[in-house]
Amino acid sequence: MAKIGVFTCWCGENIARHVDCDAVSNAVAKLPGVHCSLNYKYMCSEPGQNMIAEKIKELGLTGVVVASCSPHMHLKTFRKTAENAGLNPYLVEMANIREQCSWVHSDREIATAKAIELIGMAVEKVRRNHALEPIKVPVTKRALVIGAGVAGIQAALDVAAGGVEVVVVEKEPSVGGKMAGLSETFPTLDCSQCILTPRMVEVGQHPNIKLMTYCEVEKVDGYVGNFKVTIRKKARYVDITKCTGCGACWNACPMKGKIDNAFDFNLGFGHDKKLGKRSAIYVPFPQAVPARPTVDAENCLRLKSMKNGKELCGVCQKQCAANAINFHDQDELIEIEVGAIVVATGYQLYSIGKEQENPNIQGYAEYGYGKYKDVVDSLQFERIISASGPTGGEPLRPSDGRVPEKIVFIQCVGSRDNAKGITYCSKICCMYTAKHTMLYKHKVHDGEAHVFYMDIRSGGKKYDEFVRRAIEQDGAIYHRGRVSKIEEQTVDGVKKLMVYGADTLSGKPVVVEADMVVLACAMTPTTGAPQLAQKLSVGYDEYGFLSESHPKLRPVETNAAGVFVCGACQGPKDIPETVAQASAAAGKVLIMLSQPNLTREPEIARVDERLCASCGACVKACPFQAITKEEIRDRNGNLVKTTSRVNPGLCMGCGTCVAVCPSKSVDLIGFTDDQIYAQVESLAD
Amino acid sequence: MENQLRNAIRKLLEEKTVDVAIGYGRVGVGGAVGAVFVTDPSEVDRLVWNAECRQNLAVHLSRPEVKALGKPAIVVKGCDARAVVVLANEGQIDRENVVVVGVVCEGIQGADASGVATGTLLDKCVTCVEHAAQNVDILIGDAAKAAELDAANAPNAKTAGKQAKLAALLQKTPEERFQYWRDEFSRCVRCHACRQSCPLCYCNRCVADKNRPTRIDTSATLKGNFAWNILRAFHLAGRCVGCGACSAACPAGIDLDLLNLTLANAADEQFGYVAGKELGAAPLIGTYAENDKEEFIR
Repeated sequence: MAKIGVFTCWCGENIARHVDCDAVSNAVAKLPGVHCSLNYKYMCSEPGQNMIAEKIKELGLTGVVVASCSPHMHLKTFRKTAENAGLNPYLVEMANIREQCSWVHSDREIATAKAIELIGMAVEKVRRNHALEPIKVPVTKRALVIGAGVAGIQAALDVAAGGVEVVVVEKEPSVGGKMAGLSETFPTLDCSQCILTPRMVEVGQHPNIKLMTYCEVEKVDGYVGNFKVTIRKKARYVDITKCTGCGACWNACPMKGKIDNAFDFNLGFGHDKKLGKRSAIYVPFPQAVPARPTVDAENCLRLKSMKNGKELCGVCQKQCAANAINFHDQDELIEIEVGAIVVATGYQLYSIGKEQENPNIQGYAEYGYGKYKDVVDSLQFERIISASGPTGGEPLRPSDGRVPEKIVFIQCVGSRDNAKGITYCSKICCMYTAKHTMLYKHKVHDGEAHVFYMDIRSGGKKYDEFVRRAIEQDGAIYHRGRVSKIEEQTVDGVKKLMVYGADTLSGKPVVVEADMVVLACAMTPTTGAPQLAQKLSVGYDEYGFLSESHPKLRPVETNAAGVFVCGACQGPKDIPETVAQASAAAGKVLIMLSQPNLTREPEIARVDERLCASCGACVKACPFQAITKEEIRDRNGNLVKTTSRVNPGLCMGCGTCVAVCPSKSVDLIGFTDDQIYAQVESLAD
Repeated sequence: MENQLRNAIRKLLEEKTVDVAIGYGRVGVGGAVGAVFVTDPSEVDRLVWNAECRQNLAVHLSRPEVKALGKPAIVVKGCDARAVVVLANEGQIDRENVVVVGVVCEGIQGADASGVATGTLLDKCVTCVEHAAQNVDILIGDAAKAAELDAANAPNAKTAGKQAKLAALLQKTPEERFQYWRDEFSRCVRCHACRQSCPLCYCNRCVADKNRPTRIDTSATLKGNFAWNILRAFHLAGRCVGCGACSAACPAGIDLDLLNLTLANAADEQFGYVAGKELGAAPLIGTYAENDKEEFIR
């Protein structure tokens, strides 16, 4: 015999204004099975919750209906109340008489009648509820961090410091990401490498961290707490356990000084062709972790000749005292098991003039990037002024190696430009452009730094002061306006870039005869981010930035349980924000992995295996790949039948399978068809 | 051709390639053609092949009592062969473990109330372009003749026969159409012969037989009849091969095939999907492709 308690909330004035709560209480008290019916000003307050708890204990209620706001708001609150009072929390239902009644109706009589019906439906449902126990899923106490830029490094170090094993996968031969190549960082102008390299070394040496460089995530199976990740270990042709990093190989390589270095963003200099170039067996930069070389198969003479069945060159192998070079190395697939995944794949710059991957985005052919050697993007400029860059920090322009007397910096190249397809602000360009002008002026005291900007966005601690310093102390010349065109002209035998722009504050066109142009282009997610997101079942936006679960309250979680995001793969951000978010993600991982088991809501689908005809409709329809076909065999191993089966660790309780099952042999526990039909039928009287 | 068929089946049984052959035979009242299950090679003469072989024998493949007989061979017409493909695609049969004997079918004749052949072809045969069964292991009959017949029907395949009937129905206003189905469904006695004759209605327990909750009225009320017949059509969307077994089995003479044809046409027009055409094809419902049309979303 059901003993149901109905507790109607006024929500202050929110419900009571349009719903007569006394009338509701009296009406629902007469419903079959309802044992007590009370109302109160704030059910979620302590006295309100106490009222529910007392009635549960006093009357021995078998079910509770709280008629108040949306279950999204307070279902957890009231379930906790019931649990503390000794009632299984899943015997509590809510009737939403606020969002779905008092807020949308103004006629008191009609709203009151509707509230009674909504409660009547909840009473019918709770009468058919069963006591449920949360599902416990075992957890693999190991985390995977994808990407080893500053975000991945921070996340890995924090998780490792919490005593949990971490596997770090990085697609490049070294950790460090974009930050390792930056010059100095705003707003303090400390050297990027000086602050990052200790962390890189720590990641390489930490006992809890397994570093997998030159590797990529191939496949992700499993579910929260129990992911099975297949990692492709790309052929490096160097056994890094044998190699000592002595450098004999890359110094002997006949391709030395001939190959563009991706770490220097393929910079080349007209006056010294070897500047910024590397060999075919190379370490991308001196502080690389691991400090072990990689053979670039596209440019290595030996590997190229092997394709034609010959064995040319091989100088590096002869030089190698450790016998670490193996030209027959192959890609390897390695499977690891982890409980949580942090995605920190970072960003790249929007490719200004070149073909765009995303058909909705267009380039800026008018700026001549790629055509004029002295038009560079901001990351290339970082390398030019970096003390560890190809020029050793001397600001030389690529075409002829002259020190530029005048540099034009253009902001918002791509960003905030609806016409070109990117609507968002890349957030960091205002700051680094100010930094660029300063660093240039510190090196070339009589040089001129012109900046074309749309707005200066310098929100952040000591950020606006930094921009003011660039303008007021270092004398950067800021023009508020856009640049329409850049043309190369030869003036007195020297190549100059004529920059045609506008200054909208003075209302005049501006033409600057520059030696060099730096484009602050939009930040976009790294190539392959959407493909990775698909492997992880994580959402992403039209640009490929990964979607967090809630923009304010769940900023590092994703809608795929157990997968977290941090850094620029989630949206443009600077180093301090990236580091903060990485630590936040690490905290979430540690919270998750600190439990012996994961607790999941028991409201999931269950197949009636006696009736399932195994047509496979649910297997195909399940958006979480939670349903598989299984064979039922007798004790002698004879096949009895095949059936669909739900993996309780993966099921999110969406109910898609219930909708597609033709014989309704699958049902959603806690939302059974029986309950829902009873709810609907309660309206039919 | 009948002899060819018998010889082929005899060989399969003698060589123990199969344990049972499901074919047509004169088993009904007055020699009406129905299903026979031959397990002994000496009895293959019970098998017949003629223009009265109306049934779709594929319905027997998923029956547990037939499965208990062992590995089957089955005689199929072009339309029936597609049902076998759907059964295989949906995991109901192991295609490797069934010998499908296709026949070249020149068309099946209708029958009058007493079961005597009328001499006129069934509606579905007028638009048939699969006179030779596809995706079969053995084909009996003249494939060249089948190709000729296919070519003759091809120009009218989307307009003649049942398609013409459907087109005429779709010409009517929604109210008239509703009235048409109201009249038709009011005759339904809920005998579920449509379900029993359908090779693709293989659920262990049909949703119509479940009563917690009762999703469909179990008695023959107009509301329940609407719910049943429309639900069944939806369950066959993207799956029905148009064999017409349901319409043929209906004692009330309701042209259920019209409902199925509407959905089959939609599957073809919207997604280029023809049920049972290809072994291994993913099911239409529950499969998403990036280039799926979305015009119907408004």
